[in-house]
Formats: sequence, C-alpha cells, structure tokens
Amino acid sequence: MSAVEELLLEIKKMNKNFGPIAALKDVDLAIRRGQIHGLIGENGSGKSTITSIAAGMQEATSGEMRFKGKPWKPASMVEAQAGGISMILQEANTIPNCSVAENLFAGQENHFSTLGFVNSKKMNRAADEILQKFNLTHMRGKDSVNAYGFEDRKLIELARAVTDETEILVVDETTTALSFEGREILYRLMDKLAAENKAVIFISHDLDEILLHCSILTVLRDGEIRGVITKEEMKQPDSIHKIRQLMVGRDIGDKFYRSDCDGSHGDEVVLEYKNVSNANIKNFSLQLHAGEIIGIGGLSGCGMHEIGRMAFGLEHLDHGHVLCRGREILNTAKAVQAGIGYISKNRDQEALILEGAISTNIVMPSLPDLKKAAFIPPARERRLADEQIRLLAIKCENGGQWVSTLSGGNKQKVSFAKWIAKGSDIIIMDCPTRGVDIGVKQAMYQLIYDMKKEGKAILMISEEMAELIGMADRLIIMKDFQIAKEFSRSGTLTEGDIIEYMI
Amino acid sequence: MKKLIQNDRLRAHSGSLLSYGGLALCLIVFSILSKGRLFSAYNVGILIQAACVYAILAMGAIFIYSMGYMDISVGAQVGVYCILCILITNATGSLLLGFATILALALICGLINGYVSVMLGLPSIVTSIFLNSIFGGVQMLLMEWVDTNSVGIQYDMSFLKSITAMVTAIAVIAVIAVCLYNYTQLGKYTRAIGANEKAAQLSGVSVTKWKVLAYIFFGICIAVAALFLTARTGSAGKGTGTGYAMDIMVALLLGGMPLSGGMRSRISSSLIGSFTYVILSNGLTLSGVDTSHVYVIKALVFLAVILITCRKREGVLPR
Repeated sequence: MSAVEELLLEIKKMNKNFGPIAALKDVDLAIRRGQIHGLIGENGSGKSTITSIAAGMQEATSGEMRFKGKPWKPASMVEAQAGGISMILQEANTIPNCSVAENLFAGQENHFSTLGFVNSKKMNRAADEILQKFNLTHMRGKDSVNAYGFEDRKLIELARAVTDETEILVVDETTTALSFEGREILYRLMDKLAAENKAVIFISHDLDEILLHCSILTVLRDGEIRGVITKEEMKQPDSIHKIRQLMVGRDIGDKFYRSDCDGSHGDEVVLEYKNVSNANIKNFSLQLHAGEIIGIGGLSGCGMHEIGRMAFGLEHLDHGHVLCRGREILNTAKAVQAGIGYISKNRDQEALILEGAISTNIVMPSLPDLKKAAFIPPARERRLADEQIRLLAIKCENGGQWVSTLSGGNKQKVSFAKWIAKGSDIIIMDCPTRGVDIGVKQAMYQLIYDMKKEGKAILMISEEMAELIGMADRLIIMKDFQIAKEFSRSGTLTEGDIIEYMI
Repeated sequence: MKKLIQNDRLRAHSGSLLSYGGLALCLIVFSILSKGRLFSAYNVGILIQAACVYAILAMGAIFIYSMGYMDISVGAQVGVYCILCILITNATGSLLLGFATILALALICGLINGYVSVMLGLPSIVTSIFLNSIFGGVQMLLMEWVDTNSVGIQYDMSFLKSITAMVTAIAVIAVIAVCLYNYTQLGKYTRAIGANEKAAQLSGVSVTKWKVLAYIFFGICIAVAALFLTARTGSAGKGTGTGYAMDIMVALLLGGMPLSGGMRSRISSSLIGSFTYVILSNGLTLSGVDTSHVYVIKALVFLAVILITCRKREGVLPR
C-alpha cells in the first residue's frame, strides 16, 4: 500500500557537522502523504537535527531535500512554515507578557492593522476562532499567556504551528510537556492531519506512544539510520525489544524496571505528612518508610508535584506539618540537613547550575560536610565529584566540564549525584526520567532500586505510569488534590487499572 | 591561531588571560608614552596610594558582583565614613574609636543591604539606591553641621600613609579575600547564587544568610578603604567618595568580571581591574593627555574591553 502514496518530503544523503562532530551521516529519509512517521533514538542520535533542518532552523552541511517534488531549502522557520513544514519544539516557545492572540499571530499583525494600528479586537476574535478549531475552548485570545500553565502554552504553540498551509507537522518531544488531556488533543490533531493526506513527523522517547500512533518508524543511532519498522512489524509481540536493541546498539535485556514483586520495606517512618493543607491540597497525610519507594501519579494539576515540594520546604503550608524523623521541615536548608534530597522536575532551572562545572554542581549540597575548620580543601571536593562521576558513569571529559554541554540524560545523572554524594537517605524525585533516553533510564531504575536496597526512602512522582508501576512499592494515584486510590506492589497491575482513578 | 583557541584549557582561561593582557598592555603602552615616568619611584608611590582604596573596595565588592548584584552606595558610604572618622578622632583623640565607629556602621549597612532587600523582596540595587541617597544626605548634613568646606584630621596618620602600610593592607586583604572566595562556603555560594539562585537554594544553601554575610564582608572592606582614604587625603568634604561606585564597577569589568556574576567570576578581577584602572587614569595624565580628553579615552577603552571579554561565546552545540 505504501507505494501508491505520494512522496511528500525526501531527504537524500544529508550530513550535518558541528565542528569535528558529525551529527548526521548520510541520512536518507522519505516522508509520504498520510503517514505519521515516528523518529526514535537516544539523545544526540540526530532526530531533532534532521527535523530542524527540514523546518529551516539550521542548514545541512551537505545533502539534498525535495519537498512536494521541488528542491527544498528553507532559510528560516517562518519560510518553512509558509511553505508547509511546521515544527513544535520541546522547550517553551511562547512570548511571555503578551496575549494569546498576539502569540498566535506573532509576525502577522499586518493582517489586522490599519495605518499601523493593530486592531486587537479583530485579532482576539480571530484567535478565539482558531482556538475553537483546535477545541481549546478554555482559553481566550485576549488573555495574557502568563495566565496559562506550561501545558496550555504548549497547546497555543500547537495552534500557531498548524495552519491551512501545513503539509508536514513536526512534533519534537512535545508530549513530555503535556498531560493526558493535552496529549489526546495532540493525537487527535495528528490523526486528522494524516486523514487529510498530510503528514506528521513524530519524535518521542515514549515507545508505547510511538507504537500506538505511528504508521511507520525510523530508528536512529549516532546520526545514522539503523532501521525502519513498518506498522506490521510494530504489531509483533517482541517489537519493543527489537526497537530498543536498535536504539541502544546492544541487547539491554528484558530487565528494565525492577523484577521483584516484593513490596516490603523497613519499619521506621522517615518522612511523614500530617494533615497537611495549602491553598489547594487539603488534609493530606502520608507515611514514607525507610527502604520504601512510594510512587505518586496523576494528571497534571492533580497536586502531585506540590506534595513533593512540600516535603522540601518549598510550599507554604496553611495547616499541618511535614516531619522528617520527628523534626519539622520548615525550609529547604533544614530539609537538606535532615537528609532529604530533591530532584526537581525543572532540571535546568531549579536543579542545576548550567553555567557551572559538573563538580561544582555535584558538591554543592555537600560543602558544609567537606569543610575542615571553615576551609574546603579542593582535593576533597575533587575526590567527591570524581567518585560520583565514576559511580554514575557521567559521560564527560572531566569534572571541570560545564553542565550546559551535557546531554539531558547526563544532566539528570548530575542531579542525582548531588544527593548521592551528600548521602541523603530520603530522596524526592519529581519526574526523574523526563527527557532521558532509554540506556540512561535503565541505569537510573537500577540506581533507584539499589538505593531502596540500601535502606533509602524514595518518593517518586511521575507522569509516566509505566515506571511507577515498575518501580513503586506503594502507588498513590492523585486526583483533584486528593488521594484517589492506593495500590500495593503487584505483578499484575496495568496502566488500564490505574487510569480510571486518574480521570 | 584557530588551533590555539580550540584548546579547551586555553579557552577556559581566556577571560583571565585577556584581563592580564590588558594590564600588561596598559603598562607597556604608558611606560612608552610617559617615557618611563610611569615607573619612577615617586609615581609608583602615587599608583599604590591610588590603587589601595580601589583594590580594597573591589575585593569586597566582588562578592556582591559574583551574586549578580550591584551596589551603588559605596561612594556615599565612603564619604560619610571618612567625615565621621575624622570628626570622632578629632573629638576623642583616638583613631581606634573613629575606626570602630565606622566599622560598626558599615556592618549595619551590610545587614540592611542584604537583609532588607530579601525581607521586602526588593532587588538589592533598590536598597543600595536608597542607602546611596541616605548617605548622600547625611554627608551633606554633617558638612552643614560642622559649617566648613572640609574637615582635616588632627591625628597623625602618616604610619598608614606609607607605601609599606598600603602594600601590607592590600596584601592582607587580598589573602583573606582569596581564601574566602576560593576555599570557603561564602565564595562558593556567592558564585552559585549568581549562576542560579534557585538551584543554590534547592541545594540547601540559605541564600539570605550568605547574602548578608557577603554584604558584611563588603562593609568591612568599605570601612578599611575609608580609613586609608582618610590617611591619604588627610581631610574630607562634601565631594569625598563621589564616583567610587562607578569606578569600582568599571575596575571590575576591566578585570574581566562578568556583570551577571556566576561561575565565570574570579577574585583576580578585583586586583587586576583596580590596578589597570589606576594605571589607565594615571598613565593618561602622565602622557600629557588633556584632562578633558581623559574621560572620552577611558570610555573608548572601556567599550573595547567589554566587547572583547563580555560577549557571549557563539557556536554552542545544539542538543
């Protein structure tokens, strides 16, 4: 059936070099009408590089592109979008402090202006129409984008990217930023575009999502195409295993999450929420034991991230206490002293000093422990950092390398290393594997499991149900700022069982 | 050349190399232009006297600039401290008492600068503008009150005026500042706060506490600098201290200090920068440049230095 479908975008022998590093090596790719074409590969495998070249963000070093039968070489994203290739990015891309309408029509204000004055009423009306079209009826064109959360802003970008001219929509790891409802909107849009005989290029780390929505899948590794998998092959029972092997380049085995179903843990309560309330959450209570992994899941906006922040002294509490071995947690400094570590969901903004050395980041919480009579011997610092770099296999030249130069997975390892170096025995992880590729993910799960075995208590907050089921001793599902359901560890729990309690 | 720049170690230190180079260049250019007079024994004395106050202030200020903050109240503070030190010393006959008073005042101002801005949620530049106005006003009132154009010190401060004393002071404060900056929590945390305040906080750093401590160290430096300024000039008036805030900022920038603070900050910037700045001003005068042209030339040098050292590096690998 594929032969009859018209070729929409053809990439031939594309190469892209960044200095001495080759990001793409002789890549050939064909996108046909009606396809939802998945691209999958580890971080740095070249997925985003291909699509960003096709969408005009950067130029290829060599190679040829043909779009709708004609040579294609867009000079900018605006030109590419006008020509028919639009892209939605992983990072936030809306303009803050502007209205939704101004964001939607950025660069097209002259359609709404007379004699240089923009008719904002007209623009807002047009914006409302577009929002209506995408079923985003909860947003209004005249509102400021600041009034909306990260997820809604992502949807605004979506509405901006897809116009009547769009022939190919590139979705670059957008779904990690979206909750369940947001994803549904995106999936529906993708299916609609495919049905209209247009095409979608879908980049994601989430294999289940890829298998569910893509009609064809291309696997990349180290800038080369390692395999193309058709819909029929995707339906095979061992397809996930095969795709992972293609991505990582070696057999990573079936052991992904922990394999045991033993939900036992120590008796000591190390962290306790006692009738905690803030503006949203009312009377929340929970006990975390030594050697226990508690998973907290739910839709975005269910309050699960706030639960994690509360235990680290980051939220103002109206009532109740968070106690760590009987001591009340009032601020982050106290929380760290009490042995709590917090791995933030907003890694680049909150967890890491990007413009700083790996070693600086790793030793930051441990500095008070390292000092000898007020002075911190540099050798001690270096030793601690090097030890962690080795232990977690952080890929870098040395500890002096800046964190901003690392890939997402290695950045997250640095974020983990901070608290392992500190010796914290209660770790709160907010989306610990967000934007991390499979190889690193597997290492992280092993690490988390080892931490449990050492008697550390872990609070794992995640939007990925699979990893919660795979890792948690106790799984708590939250809905509307309350605990909706609690599951104990079992081998038979499936995502289907959980989802009904989330919505 | 291209290969040289690709060398990572070299690139990591390019900022400090450039600022050392700037100092060296200043030395060479002005020793030629002034026909060697730059290094005459007399002029070296002048240079050290002038650099002493700048260097001490800059070594305190660098802790503030590392956090990405600014302080513009230095000048007015120095002015008031000089006047107060002279008045109290003259009245009591004890220099120690005079110095103790201004040290105490400087510590209180450090607290205000650090703590109030955190408590009220104001950017610290706002509190420093406030302090600048207050001190400017106090300086005026003090001078109105004594009803002269300038007050002179009656105590013999010549022991502080000697080159040895000044070099010792710079050296002692430099050793303290370098140790604090490179080997203690204070220095490490100020840089971390400048690089990412939120991440520092989430690593268990009590941002408020260290911020206040940084301002307190700065306060001590201001008091010491005021003491040496008093010793050097022997008198103080309405204009004492004017322009120091801006001079310190320029000196730090000349020393390769990024205004945004963070991990690129180096303590060496304060020393190199203040000497470069002093040699630049002194050298221009010695070379016979008209005073009216000095400012324009300084501005051009400043612009050139900023363009070379502070521009963002390009060509970063995308993910």
